[in-house]
Amino acid sequence: MAAIEVRGLTKHFGPILAVDHLSFDVEQGSITGFLGPNGAGKTTTLRMLLGLVHADEGTATFGGERYVDLASPLHRVGAVLEAANFYPGRTARNHLRIQALAGAIAPGRVDEVLGLVGLRSDANRRVSGYSLGMRQRLGIATALLGEPEVLVLDEPANGLDPEGVRWLRDLLRSLANKGRTVLISSHILAEVAQTVDRVVILDRGRLVAHSSLDELTSTAHRVVRVRTSRAEELGAALATDSVRVKPFGPEWIEVTGATSEQIGMTAAQLGIPIFESRSEDANLEDVFLKLTETQGKGAQR
Amino acid sequence: MTRFIRVELLKLWTTRLPFGLLGASSLLTALITVLKATRAGENRRVAIPPLYSAQGLKDVITSTDFAMIMALVFGVIIATSEFRHMTATSTYLGQPIRSRVLVAKAVASAIGGAVFGAVASALTIGIALAFVSGKGYSIALGGGTIAHYGLGAVLACAILAVAGVAVGTLIRGQVGAIVTVFAWGFIIESIIGGLYNSAQPYLPYTAARTLAGFTLNGGTSPMSFLATTAYVVAIALALLFISARTTLRRDIA
Repeated sequence: MAAIEVRGLTKHFGPILAVDHLSFDVEQGSITGFLGPNGAGKTTTLRMLLGLVHADEGTATFGGERYVDLASPLHRVGAVLEAANFYPGRTARNHLRIQALAGAIAPGRVDEVLGLVGLRSDANRRVSGYSLGMRQRLGIATALLGEPEVLVLDEPANGLDPEGVRWLRDLLRSLANKGRTVLISSHILAEVAQTVDRVVILDRGRLVAHSSLDELTSTAHRVVRVRTSRAEELGAALATDSVRVKPFGPEWIEVTGATSEQIGMTAAQLGIPIFESRSEDANLEDVFLKLTETQGKGAQR
Repeated sequence: MTRFIRVELLKLWTTRLPFGLLGASSLLTALITVLKATRAGENRRVAIPPLYSAQGLKDVITSTDFAMIMALVFGVIIATSEFRHMTATSTYLGQPIRSRVLVAKAVASAIGGAVFGAVASALTIGIALAFVSGKGYSIALGGGTIAHYGLGAVLACAILAVAGVAVGTLIRGQVGAIVTVFAWGFIIESIIGGLYNSAQPYLPYTAARTLAGFTLNGGTSPMSFLATTAYVVAIALALLFISARTTLRRDIA
């Protein structure tokens, strides 16, 4: 059984369809990136998953059980949803003591997680004096309190400095190595590309991709950038249904869907000089943008 | 359930606001009581009979009104601060069954409210008896009567704090909810009670005040102490039930 199962999840906010019959699984022991541009419905989906927002249709379960039905929710699922969800006048230690008591978690665990996220020396400071990065670390400490099997993290890298992002990446990887399941949302794919095994990509509330990273990048075309004095003429000759050409600077064109050899042959046949050619592998970012762009255009039509 | 009540009490213990409210309530209660005790027996526009009389001593001992409104505000803040500071997310992740959280908050607020009432009663009784002793008067009220007013204030504050939690759950905006309880307690009930003396004993905030010895326009309340207690408890529970069936179910976005 999958660690997280989402089936036909749908949510309207008034006339706006925020999540549209969304279905996906998150496999046990995997780190799954939950991606999409801002407003794609990621946070709404995660809140439905955690019973904070009521779904109009569909189900979201952890090992077959809804969050509200879990006997010890903080031992099963740890979540980071908002950087600001702390009472500002309360210290970090007291915030964790309260969550530990709510989850029937041993009080000694509070100092353990404070040490794990590097906040032990600031534990007795009021949260109002914390930076955004420190609040994120406190959020992660809260999620880890109950040593849960599943972690649900909504944009946890927000506010973290590069060192913090690396720390988070290492932490998630070590948790996954211990068999924990992580669902991590982000609107910046590069942020999670080095961490995740699988991705679920959402756009305008709809699922646009659900696969492993390798599967996703293999669907991408290579991009070839060509410099020539007759860029417009070469572009017109190359453009077909399967080959996209777009201008890229005064003497440059960017060709997607054709190899360097195919471009060189076409140029030679037409006697067009090529001054420079660069071939680049499409990265995950390109795939992400292409997928969400395509869906966006479809929605606009 | 006990664990979640302890959670709510720990939340109160680890913030300064409840202590600030209790401090403000105690300071103003003490100030009002001293002023009343000083002016008792003087022939002023709002006359307070002398402290050697039963009515004069009662007027001073029952100066717990401010603690009651502060207990109501205390209850409102317990409920609304979860939304003001977006801590409702953490709270409902820890206990996803929201009605249990509401019950825990109601119990914690009743305990906190009772502290407001107990401190206020101790202050009014202590100050009144100190003035009586200082002036060399004998105590005109029996120990049972004084204890009755004190216990009434404790009960009224506890019940009003629970009602505050219900109002704060119904109206999630903290400022709006506080304005509502002040407007209800100080304006709406004063107007209705002033216009219709027969309705006054049944106005919820006024009924709670009568538990602590508040004197109605038309004299004594037609309801006994126990009946009044049951009446205001029923209103607080009804408000809690309504909030549990309506706003409590809203999305936490």
